[in-house]
Parts: sequence; structure tokens; C-alpha cells
Amino acid sequence: MKDAGTYMDAVAPALGLTIAPAHREGVARFLAVAAEMAAALDGAAEDDELALAPVYLPPAEEG
Amino acid sequence: MSEVRRAPRVTDDPTRRWASAAEIAAAVRAGRVRAEAVAEAGLARIAAAGELAAYTDITADRALAEARAVDRSVAGGRDPGPLAGVPFAVKNLFDVEGLATRAGSAIGRDRAPARRDAALVRRLTAAGAVLTGALNMGEYAYDFTGENAHDGAVRNPHDALRMAGGSSSGSAAATAAGLVPLALGSDTNGSLRVPASLCGVFSLKPTYGRLSRAGTFPFVDSLDHLGGFARTVRDLALVHDAVQGPDAEDHACADRRAEPVTPALSAPVGDLRIGVPGGWFAEAEGEEAVARLTRAASALGRLVASVEPVDLPGAASGRAAAYLVTNIESAALHLPRLRTRAAEYDPDTRDRFLAGALLPGAWYVRAQAARRRWLAEAMAAFRRVDALIVPATPVTAPLIGQKTLRIGGREVALRPNLGLLAQPFSCIGLPVLTVPVFAPGELPLGIQIVGPPWAEARLVALAAALERSGAAVAHSPVRCP
Repeated sequence: MKDAGTYMDAVAPALGLTIAPAHREGVARFLAVAAEMAAALDGAAEDDELALAPVYLPPAEEG
Repeated sequence: MSEVRRAPRVTDDPTRRWASAAEIAAAVRAGRVRAEAVAEAGLARIAAAGELAAYTDITADRALAEARAVDRSVAGGRDPGPLAGVPFAVKNLFDVEGLATRAGSAIGRDRAPARRDAALVRRLTAAGAVLTGALNMGEYAYDFTGENAHDGAVRNPHDALRMAGGSSSGSAAATAAGLVPLALGSDTNGSLRVPASLCGVFSLKPTYGRLSRAGTFPFVDSLDHLGGFARTVRDLALVHDAVQGPDAEDHACADRRAEPVTPALSAPVGDLRIGVPGGWFAEAEGEEAVARLTRAASALGRLVASVEPVDLPGAASGRAAAYLVTNIESAALHLPRLRTRAAEYDPDTRDRFLAGALLPGAWYVRAQAARRRWLAEAMAAFRRVDALIVPATPVTAPLIGQKTLRIGGREVALRPNLGLLAQPFSCIGLPVLTVPVFAPGELPLGIQIVGPPWAEARLVALAAALERSGAAVAHSPVRCP
């Protein structure tokens, strides 16, 4: 992630989270790991494909 | 903290440290030993093994009461159950009536005591097993190391300076150290398989949905599995058969009848084809992992129809998808606590949870789509082979406190990478039986036997054949805490 500090400053308040100064470095490190994982998924699905692993199935019996 | 342990004697004393669950149950059922005597001997060993840091709660009174109830059944001519008098223990994310379910956390100690046992604990006690306590684990199961800032690092019974592996650290260590013949744990990304590998015991992570998770503290709903540890394949099969079956209290538990695996212990394996994935897997395997894989493949080569290379290029995306689904789902679960009590988390899990809470929704959706594609690729591979073998960890047990690993020529962070060889398979819910491959005195390393969905019986047959061949044996530690 290119600018993890700016990203967490923008997103954390929307979630009601405060990232304490002592935690920022660790959070930035794990944001970078997650970004690496997301990049690894580029090309793992065709364009416009949205077939997800979990699929909601309603119960067989009528309510 | 260690004492030199004598080599196990061949004896039928079911109160000895290394007695198997099968031996204990047979002796108790036949009235040759009282379950109470087995429980007393086990509790004495547990009390003396405090430095292992495997237990967080010892339920001695309950264990003795349950053992006496088993003895009354035997005396009264009633069936005491297939696991009569067998001591066991559970990772402390399982509800145990009267205990706060802490899930490895400090925050969880504030929870009200559980009002009833988790489903699998109820099933084991109904089978006659005797609960001896709750076991240490990585905080909220977000861990591969077995280190815990609140309850201490679980020590590896084969070398007390080394990690037990996590997050089911106490479960693997207690089993390997002979404190119990059976333990239960959980596995979201490798939390049964990593500690089984480092501690040198067997574990079975069944197919996603096979076992009920009711009454356990969740981590990642899409990926959470429960399963058992044991020192023999027979014991592993016994515990699996005692706990399987549908349960409406877990929405992910399949409405599927129990399919006992114990009959598969002697099933033939000569027609089976085994695949050994290269590529991404091979790049991540350290020197010792390659050596143990070669040992297992060589032994299997004498037992099965073929051992052949297979190509699974989607594994890397499966691993990445598992990472993101885990990070995002678990952080969403913890969000209310992260807002108000972040400082009370283990520093090694807190920053990862906080990061996960901030990730974009598009990454989660992309990860869920990648899981589906990776599953399709794996299922195609299972049309060519019946099972896969892959090291469970890239290395043997690292030193406690170690922060990095060398994988594929790169120095990488240890915490997110110790379980990378396990993650692709839990990502798509495949059953995995981990077998220990090591000689007495060597540090253990486990090999995953991976099957298609619902093929647990096939994995048991292969593991039992490997155990009989001498290639996969849970040797007791040379020096044991």
C-alpha cells in the first residue's frame, strides 16, 4: 500500500476506530501484506465474473 | 524444566503416560482398570507439567466426577461408551460449562462462564471421555506460533526452547507430551496442522461443514473448522467418529449422516494415486520440509499405485484469498472491541485485526471469487489423483521469539508465513490429515495428506498405512517436560 498512513487516517474514523500512535507502524505493515495479497489475486478471475464461494441458499421448506 | 524420560515399556498399564485412547477405553470397558485411576494419573501429570504452559484451566473435580460416573456404568453393566475413561482436553475457545471462554484473550476472561459445553465436548463426554481442562492457544486463533502475551508461550515438548505452533498450541503440546491421548482444536488457516507438524502428532481437519462448531468462539465463519489431535491414527479415527454428525445449531454444519472412518484403518491403499504438488508449494518448502516430504513419498511409493507430480498453479491465489477473507471477516467480528479495547489485545494480533478492519470491500469480494476458482482447479486435480501430499510447515519448530523465516530465498515475517503451506487447503474446505514424519530425537515435521471433500476415510486409510510402515509415527519426546 503506497501511503498507508494517509489511508488509515481517512478510513479509520468512518469505522469509529482510533489508531493509537504506537499501533500505526504495525497496522501499516499489515496493510502492506494485505495489499500484496490483493495484488496476487489480480487476474485470478475473469473480467465481470462474480461467482463467489459462499452462496446463500434459502431453506428447502416453505416458511 | 526437563527430566530424562525412560523409553516407553511395552505394558498394558492403561494409566501410563503414553497409553493410547484405544487401550484406555478397552481396559476401562473390560473392568481391568477404573476410569478414576486413569484420571488421577493423568491429572497428576498435568499438574507437574505447568512449565509447558499447555493448560489454562484444569477441571480436576469435573474429570474425577465424570470418571466415577463411567466406573458406575461399568459396574452396573451399562455401556460406558466407546471412549470410556479416556482423558481429553480442549482449546480454550470451546465452551466448557462454568468457565469463561477466553479464546486465548485477556478480554475474554470478563465473559460470563459458559452455561453448557460446546457440541463436540458434549459428544465426547457422551462417548465416555473425561474432560481434564482447557488449553492455551494463540489469541482469538489468529496465530501460527503458539505464543500468547497473556498466558505465555506454549513450549514444544520436543524442545522447550522452540514454538509449539498455533493457534491450537496447547492441544498439540498436551497430546505430544502425553498429558492426554486426545485433544480438540480448531483450524481456520492451519491451526490444527501447524502445531501438529511442529509437535509431532496426528491431526485431522475434516471437510468444512463436517463437524459442528456450536458453542465455540468464532474466528472466520467462512473458514473455521474443528478437529482432533492424537498420537495414533486409530485414536484420531476414534475421536473423529465420536464427534461427527449433523447439528442444526451450526449453520455451516452439513446435513450429512455420520460416515465412520474407523473401518478404514485397515482399508487397502494399493490402488490409490498420490499427487505431489510442485511450483508454488515447492518454492515455499525449506530444506527439512523437502527431506521429510521425500521420506513420506518414498514410503508411499511402496504402498500405493503411483506417486506423481501435479501442477496446482491456483494455490497462490488460494493462499492470498484465505489471508484476505481471514483478515476482513475476523476484523469485522472484533470491530466493537477494537473501538474500545484495542490496547488489551495481544500486540501480535491487534495490529493485524486493525488493518483488516480498514480493508476495501472489493478485496473481500475478489477473494471470495478466487476461492471458487481455486476449488474448481483442485477438484480437477482430484480427477487425476486420489490425494495430495504437502509439508504442513515450511520448517521444523522455530525458536520461541523468532520473528522471521527464510522462504524461497527471501527473509519473510514468521507470523503470517509459518502456515502458508496449510492455508490453500482450508481456504476451500478440503479434508487434511497431518502425519508426523521424524525419527526419535529429530525435530518433528508433519506432512499433510489432502483429499477431496468428504474423503476423510481415504485419508485415514493412507495415514494408517504410513504409520504401519514406520514412516509416520508420533514418537514420544526424548526429553519431556
